[in-house]
Amino acid sequence: MDAIFRAVEHSWLSQWLRESSVMLPALLVVHTLGMGFAAGPSVVIDLRLLGFGRQIPLAPLARIVPLVWIGVILNAASGVFLLAAYPTKALTNPVFFLKLALIAGAVTLIEPLRRQLADPDRSAKRLAALSIILWMGAITAGRLLAYTHTRLLVDLKAHF
Amino acid sequence: MDVGIAPWEAWVRAAWLHQFILGHAKAWPVLETLHYFGLSLVLGTICLFDLRVLGFAKPVPVMALHRLVPLGVAGFLLNLATGICFFFGYPDQYAYNNAFRLKLALMAVAGANIALFYGSVFGGLKTVAPGAEAPRAAKLLTAVSLLCWIGVLVCGRLLTFFRPPFFH
Repeated sequence: MDAIFRAVEHSWLSQWLRESSVMLPALLVVHTLGMGFAAGPSVVIDLRLLGFGRQIPLAPLARIVPLVWIGVILNAASGVFLLAAYPTKALTNPVFFLKLALIAGAVTLIEPLRRQLADPDRSAKRLAALSIILWMGAITAGRLLAYTHTRLLVDLKAHF
Repeated sequence: MDVGIAPWEAWVRAAWLHQFILGHAKAWPVLETLHYFGLSLVLGTICLFDLRVLGFAKPVPVMALHRLVPLGVAGFLLNLATGICFFFGYPDQYAYNNAFRLKLALMAVAGANIALFYGSVFGGLKTVAPGAEAPRAAKLLTAVSLLCWIGVLVCGRLLTFFRPPFFH
């Protein structure tokens, strides 16, 4: 595995991302904004399905789902670049894979929850509660990546 | 040359909160995680409301989305509380930091904008039907709000890149 990590870290893209003074800060900003726009409106939909803010009509709330997808896409893209910059840091950390699993779960629920807004059934509250737990877990695991990594093959230049 | 630290900083560093945060290795990551929960709530409620007034997701009634504001206020208060803890942990990282100063300024603008919003255009939003455009003045003030909160997030995330040189 180290050979693969080294190959990635010696690529022009990875070196450029690490050595540029603006790329990593910009990627971290995009990743945080994307997180907020994915998790924030998702949790709002979940809370509405759980009974919070009953004055908000359910069906039109489906119109905010594209915002969630924009957040997810921003974070997938910025995440790939962050991974390209520091592959060893992430891929040798079990918390990173936990984070990916939590995000996969949360993203898988986006469309089922959108359908619940049109025609809620008995599973609505369970799905909504699960979605909140998954998003909170993903944020927590993501933030803890700055503290739980154990291996680096290149100097850590950014303040994660 | 050691010029010492300002009296306010000596006071902060003598406080129990400072000792607590430096004495517990887990305090900082936990506070950061809570800060991220709070910012997600602000983006998901206040900024979502702003986006609706600006014309996004128009079928959603404006005043119904306004019901989310208390949740956004809760997110803000969570971030104010955790932010105060950050400041007590490493006061020099914040006080002598242009990203932090800009962040405070943007929050002050956002606060003044809230007062202006409720004092002027908010009443007019009550008659905006689902699917309808909000008045232009309301759009202007919510655009200010949206830009301020996004700016606050950007400054916060970039804060550590603007640490003073004497901070380690």
